[in-house]
Amino acid sequence: MSDIITVKNLVEVYSDGTKAVDDISFSVAEGEFFGFLGPNGAGKSTTIKILTTLLRKTSGTVTVAGFDVEKQAAAIRRIIGVQSQDTTVDGDLTGRENIMLQGHFHQMKTDEIKKRVNELLKLVGLEEAAEKRARNYSGGMKKRLDLATALVHKPKILFLDEPTTGLDPQSRSAIWTYLEKLNREEGITIFLTTQYLEEADKLCKRLSIIDKGKIVASGSPAELKREIGADSIRISLENCKKDNAKAKELIKTLNDVNEIIDSEECLTVFAKNAGLLIADIVRALDSSDIRIASVTFSSPSLDDVFIKHTGKRIRTEELVKAPSAMLGGRR
Amino acid sequence: MTLLSDTRYVFIRYMRKLVRNPILLFFSLFQPILFLALFTQLLGRLSNFPGVLPVGVSYLEFAAAGILLQNAFGSALQSGNSIVADIDSGFLHKMLVTPMSRPAILLGRLASDAFRVVVQTAIILALAYGIGAAENSPFTVNTGVIGILLIFFTIAFFGLAWSGISLALGMKTRSAETVFAIGGVITFPLLFLSSALLPINFLPGWVQTVSKFNPVSYAVDACRVLMINGYDWGTILPAWGVIGLVAVITLGATLYQFRKVVS
Ligand SMILES: Nc1ncnc2c1ncn2[C@@H]1O[C@H](COP(=O)(O)OP(=O)(O)O)[C@@H](O)[C@H]1O
Ligand SMILES: [Mg+2]
Repeated sequence: MSDIITVKNLVEVYSDGTKAVDDISFSVAEGEFFGFLGPNGAGKSTTIKILTTLLRKTSGTVTVAGFDVEKQAAAIRRIIGVQSQDTTVDGDLTGRENIMLQGHFHQMKTDEIKKRVNELLKLVGLEEAAEKRARNYSGGMKKRLDLATALVHKPKILFLDEPTTGLDPQSRSAIWTYLEKLNREEGITIFLTTQYLEEADKLCKRLSIIDKGKIVASGSPAELKREIGADSIRISLENCKKDNAKAKELIKTLNDVNEIIDSEECLTVFAKNAGLLIADIVRALDSSDIRIASVTFSSPSLDDVFIKHTGKRIRTEELVKAPSAMLGGRR
Repeated sequence: MTLLSDTRYVFIRYMRKLVRNPILLFFSLFQPILFLALFTQLLGRLSNFPGVLPVGVSYLEFAAAGILLQNAFGSALQSGNSIVADIDSGFLHKMLVTPMSRPAILLGRLASDAFRVVVQTAIILALAYGIGAAENSPFTVNTGVIGILLIFFTIAFFGLAWSGISLALGMKTRSAETVFAIGGVITFPLLFLSSALLPINFLPGWVQTVSKFNPVSYAVDACRVLMINGYDWGTILPAWGVIGLVAVITLGATLYQFRKVVS
């Protein structure tokens, strides 16, 4: 697969001197679901604005689908779909009119747009609300409509700037479903930014963690977590007191074990590849007649990755916004 | 031609926004209508004093042109707000990430401004006709349908020149309040220091001098001769020239600000 987005040594300094993006380089392969994970103010939106031809870069090289982002901006605009961080539907227009208008701006034929609008309304579940003014939509519906307007011309690349921020969990998972579908079934390359670890983890095949304008780590969620070192395997035994010491001795002899500690369950084993190790542990204990009550293992989270690289916990507002969304999510 | 079709879609969008927010139309018509009713009541007797107004001309006939101009000011000022709203909401960016023609964003807005001011002009003329009939001093446009079309043109042209100021201010300051505040500050003296509401020879000397340099006077005079006298091209053509000059300056400023916003 070839790279559809390439960014080399990108720097953005705003006119007030703020260095929003500080020498970042990355690339996104065609068909990939790529993410930018970072807290507020990290430089995510700034990067998206440069990639989508809205903002001039201070320095660096940026190409999208092989086109130079400044010299060939017009060519890029034809093949990208953009959902910006602020929901930008026109409240005075109906859902259908909002999508139609965007289709016209993409110079599509009216018949073609009409057909496409029906498909999109169905995709984002807004068929029933299609003739209502967008002003009366809930926050989640507006975001879904915004997504539909970004898709009207079947873009090759979709840029999504925090598409689920502020949404209730239900709306969020609905959007996740459409996005996965678009990426999987239609092969659209997706560049998404998010503050949510869970979202990056679930959707992105590869991601960069960005903080204060710098990329601090890149890789697949699994790779990034593996970098942390160890998964944890929690073992509880039927007779913990009696078998504890012997079990430790046995597990210690196995490959790839980093550390064994006593824990609430009984034992917790830290290891590089917990998935592989579990079978060995079960076999070893079983052959020595130590009876196991349960074994669970968990991988390190992206939160651990973020902490490792920035020394702080990424602030997650996960479900906090739900109540306002229930009130209709209007501004 | 994408410039034309894009302009059309931008125009349609603004028209939809306008008719779906009738309160906006109401507010911008409210002031001129109030003035029309109030001034014709307060100053209606001016025609009883010989030499103030031209012979046989009622104050209503005299002031109608001024009210039309005032209306053009009011709706042009809302133009800047619309661009501020589109910048704030991110809708401008939404248009800019598409391949649409950039000038169409401005042209569509200006076309909707022009259309709107023509509709409002028609409403005010109809109202003036009604007031005239009720007061037994008929209000008519002496040059007939063609004259009315020329008045529409003059008012729309003037409105565009004025939209330029509010658009440029809106993009420069990004604040609807500032557009209204500065707009108000510019508008009122221009209106009162002109031949819009009172006969020029009735005004103090210094106001007469200011009035000669005031584009509002030219536009008012052109509309007024079309209503009262006839096709006095010696008044109409210079008015278009002056409005054109103002338009070049204000729309130039708009274009300059727009370039900055867009790049
Ligand atoms: N137009 C602007 N002018 C000056 N500074 C800006 C502007 N836009 C964003 N910034 C600053 O740049 C930094 C990165 O912002 P942004 O890209 O919006 O971050 P994110 O999208 O990750 O929250 C922040 O410190 C922000 O305050
Ligand atoms: Mg942002």
